[in-house]
Amino acid sequence: MKARLRVDLRLQCAFAVLVVVFGIAGARDTALIQAATYGALYAVVAIGLSLLLGNTNLISIGQAGFFAIGAYAVAYLTASVTWPAGVTPGAQFLVASVLGTLIAGVLGLALGIIALRFSGPYLAMATLAFDAIVIGLLRYVPAFGGVSGITNVPYPIFGSITLSGPNAYWYAWLLVAVAAAATTAMLRGRIGRALEAIRNDPLAAEVVGIPVRRYTVGVFAYAGALAGLAGTFYASFLGLVVPDAVGVTVSIDILLMVILGGSGTVSGAILGAAVIAFTNLYGHSYQNLRPIAYGIAVICVAIFLPHGLVGLLWHRRNVKATVAPVDVPPAPGQTAHAKPQATTPWLEVRGVSKHFGGLVAVDNVSFALENGTVTALIGPNGAGKTTLFNAIDGVVHADTGTILVAGRDVTAWEPHRIARLGVARSFQSARLFGDMTVAENVATSAFATSGRTFDVGAALTRFGIASLRETPARDLAFGDRRRVELARSAAGRPDLLLLDEPAAGLNALERERLRTDIESLRGDGITVLLIEHDMQLVMDVSDRVIVLEFGSVIADGLPREVQTNPAVIEAYLGASA
Amino acid sequence: MIQLLVAGLTVGSTYALVALGIHIILRATRAINFAQGDFVVLGGLFALSFVSQLHVNIWVALLGSTALGFVLGALYERFILRAAARVNEGAVMIASIGTVYVLLYGHALIWGNEPQPLPTFSSAQQVQLGGATIAVQSIWVIALLAVMLAVLYVFFERTVYGKAIRAAANDPIGARLAGINVDRARSVSAAISIALATFAGTIVGPITLVGGSNGITITVKGFVGAILGGLASPIGCTAGGLLVGLIETLLGSRFAHDLVDPLVYAILLVVLLVRPQGLFGGRRIVRD
Amino acid sequence: MTERLIVRDLDAGYGRLQILRGVSLEVGVGEFVAVLGANGAGKTTLLRAISRSEARTMRGSVVFEGSDITALPTEAIVQRGLLHVPEGRRLFTDLSVDDNLRLGGFLRSRAQVESAVDEVYERFPALTARRRSIAFALSGGEQQMLAIGRALVAKPLLLMLDEPSTGLAPRVVESIFAIIASLRAEGTSILLVEQNARLTLRFADRAYILEHGEISLSGQAAELAADPRVQAIYLGGHSNAPR
Repeated sequence: MKARLRVDLRLQCAFAVLVVVFGIAGARDTALIQAATYGALYAVVAIGLSLLLGNTNLISIGQAGFFAIGAYAVAYLTASVTWPAGVTPGAQFLVASVLGTLIAGVLGLALGIIALRFSGPYLAMATLAFDAIVIGLLRYVPAFGGVSGITNVPYPIFGSITLSGPNAYWYAWLLVAVAAAATTAMLRGRIGRALEAIRNDPLAAEVVGIPVRRYTVGVFAYAGALAGLAGTFYASFLGLVVPDAVGVTVSIDILLMVILGGSGTVSGAILGAAVIAFTNLYGHSYQNLRPIAYGIAVICVAIFLPHGLVGLLWHRRNVKATVAPVDVPPAPGQTAHAKPQATTPWLEVRGVSKHFGGLVAVDNVSFALENGTVTALIGPNGAGKTTLFNAIDGVVHADTGTILVAGRDVTAWEPHRIARLGVARSFQSARLFGDMTVAENVATSAFATSGRTFDVGAALTRFGIASLRETPARDLAFGDRRRVELARSAAGRPDLLLLDEPAAGLNALERERLRTDIESLRGDGITVLLIEHDMQLVMDVSDRVIVLEFGSVIADGLPREVQTNPAVIEAYLGASA
Repeated sequence: MIQLLVAGLTVGSTYALVALGIHIILRATRAINFAQGDFVVLGGLFALSFVSQLHVNIWVALLGSTALGFVLGALYERFILRAAARVNEGAVMIASIGTVYVLLYGHALIWGNEPQPLPTFSSAQQVQLGGATIAVQSIWVIALLAVMLAVLYVFFERTVYGKAIRAAANDPIGARLAGINVDRARSVSAAISIALATFAGTIVGPITLVGGSNGITITVKGFVGAILGGLASPIGCTAGGLLVGLIETLLGSRFAHDLVDPLVYAILLVVLLVRPQGLFGGRRIVRD
Repeated sequence: MTERLIVRDLDAGYGRLQILRGVSLEVGVGEFVAVLGANGAGKTTLLRAISRSEARTMRGSVVFEGSDITALPTEAIVQRGLLHVPEGRRLFTDLSVDDNLRLGGFLRSRAQVESAVDEVYERFPALTARRRSIAFALSGGEQQMLAIGRALVAKPLLLMLDEPSTGLAPRVVESIFAIIASLRAEGTSILLVEQNARLTLRFADRAYILEHGEISLSGQAAELAADPRVQAIYLGGHSNAPR
């Protein structure tokens, strides 16, 4: 993530210099300057789409629809509406531009809400349909001038400054600079970290406390607003707008700009827009060859350069796994359990059931955890353990029954809200954010701990992964992935920690390390619920063991009791002959 | 009324075959092929070349165009879709959009920008039916659609290889463990899908003219049909495609031309929101 | 040579993750061999590595009927008579029971398939009644029978089964095991991966115990059934459970 942002910023600075040099050196070539001006406006649209595509993996083929809304808002309001005397053309433009941007943003919000329900091709088609509807209505409603559009859009004049003509080049690129700066600031801050996490793994992002839906809708609205904003300038620069100039093919062009340049980066969007703008200008003599070459380039980029041209500069192929040495800290001895902070149990499960189709995954399960203890949840494959975890932290919702976290009914809550109550969780398959470094991964626990302070460095040291600090998570060896996930779950000092098979895939030394880690977390007063198949670990570390079979609790007690319980033995070994 | 019905079914035939083609590729490779409509256009142009360059009968041209589509589909899957699938689902979608450009401007380069006429399948042009005048070619389109659907039905329901293709789409790992070459089944699926597209382009060519730049519109209308009927069900896709043709024709007789497409797309949005599995049910296969 | 399958020093896993470490085992002609172990021990990975489906073989060799199949594609392994009934059964849920069985004989001639399918219906009368319904609609036990039946249509020399007892009622499990035993009696070699240790050890000839991707124990089924270490592996050490 860091490498990408660094390259992105440097490229943006380089582009800024290029834009200035080009604007001065090329001032005499009006065709060239004009192409660069419209290229800039498409770049603004592309920046929004790049954010959307690169950070949420949602593909929109409807951005020209927002662009059209902005353009027509300005064209209609400044050319067809009679304003009260005294309102200058400049002021008219400002009002119309703000309005157009707002409408586009609100419609983006609406599409974003639709996007929450669909993914992939459905969403792509829905956005395409949105664009086609917008264009169709613009053609149909007489006030918008039908196929011939709206002409005579006045140039916005602010005192001695006129937003048009050769100078438009500078204003257009100024707009790009503003959009780029705003977007870059977002990407480099908390929002950027949240979006990066969402892009890598939406479920894990939700579980560390990031409201994925809110961010998704927000990015959609932002991308829509940027497209609308660019549209408002387009209409006034050109002095006219026709429906065909903002149609579905423009949407596809913009999508391809982002793909070509590299989604997820601002510079990629600008590069893609510039490449297209200039090939359009110089390619005129090769009428059909140009788009064919363009199509082939897109196919090649999709297959060989999934991070686009800009990706060449920051994206490395997978490197050999970096490994941190495993040292087992001295056993803490008989841990002095921290005093439970509350008499209310951190977790209480009351009569919870969950069905999938005809299959009963969890069947009327009830238990309450004693604060500051380690409880293991064991049972044969398919017993419903992970489903129960998912119900507890909101990844699925129980059909019946109640989940109480610190006394609050969270049964219908979304995972990020439950996370913010102090519930952390690890996954069977160690779901890390692959493109983020180890330190960045651990730092995402900040999303669940708004208000409370925590120290990433201390967490890394505590789990013995300080040497991996700057390693991208996707380059980690498996055992280290587990440790990083444990550090990410524990760094925010949760009250309740759910660990799903933390020992799976670990070697003997790593398992030993895990055992001491769990004991030390308990020493901090954290309540742990553990799914594990490594019975040695379960028996060593647990204060209590709950056994599930076919979704029901068949035993619940001290490790030693459970080990000798005939029902448990039968569940694991089969009925004796 | 009959006139409207026949016109609607004729338009809908293309959409039905496109929807079916999208369904078959989606099933086999989990990819939405945005280039489906451009292959339809290409099919008409293939037929045109067969007729005007090789001077063969239009029926031979239909066979030739369909066969070329089959070969092209297999190559398309092998060299573009499969390679992009190794990256991710989004890459497949993007690659197919790139293909739209290549096809759209590729055929403009070879055959020119202007739509051109294709000979009808029989010399009789019009026929009276229940007081309405019907184009004979429309009857050919509907009849040939029926024949193609019957062929597909027999292939997928009655032959071992057809069932093996369905099995490979249903559970690729299970299919491999039963000895089915899943990669080849995917290629054949794409080949069939694209053959359907070029077939459609040929049979409607005499009515719509061949060539032109409306491939993406055909894709989208076909997709609307597929969603309307249910993307997961082949029968739903076919019915949905025909339905879109009927709706479009009906709307076209009532409303201004510019309003028809937005209305059709509005129906798509409503169906997506209210009944994403489509009107004709079926389990959802894409989301989740 | 009476060994049908010889696995030597097998390392296997997924992507970068190694699950199996140096696993070696043999299955003889007409022998019923079980691989036991707790969840996550690597049992499923072992079968996947042998049939070259999903798992990745990193090192070691697999020899079947005297020829090295370590690097063959799955279809070629099936062609040689090594069939894998995978975890989760992997039926063609959209197709009918009859179609599922017929596709099991995809690589065989039509006549061979006809008679093999008839044999399967004789062996599993419950399937005969449901030959027209889609596999999705079957009960868990019927699905397991269908999965085994589909593999049998290919006339396997060696049948690998991955936890056929999962999610089934005890009575159904018993009947599935009885069928497996009868297959063995007819000369088909069996490699069974199971969690249900007691039942498996009653039917199997020999067994291997897999622990954290390595074979920790092996021997005759009867001996292992009496070995307290087996229970310890499942339920943790220091066990004082009745032997």
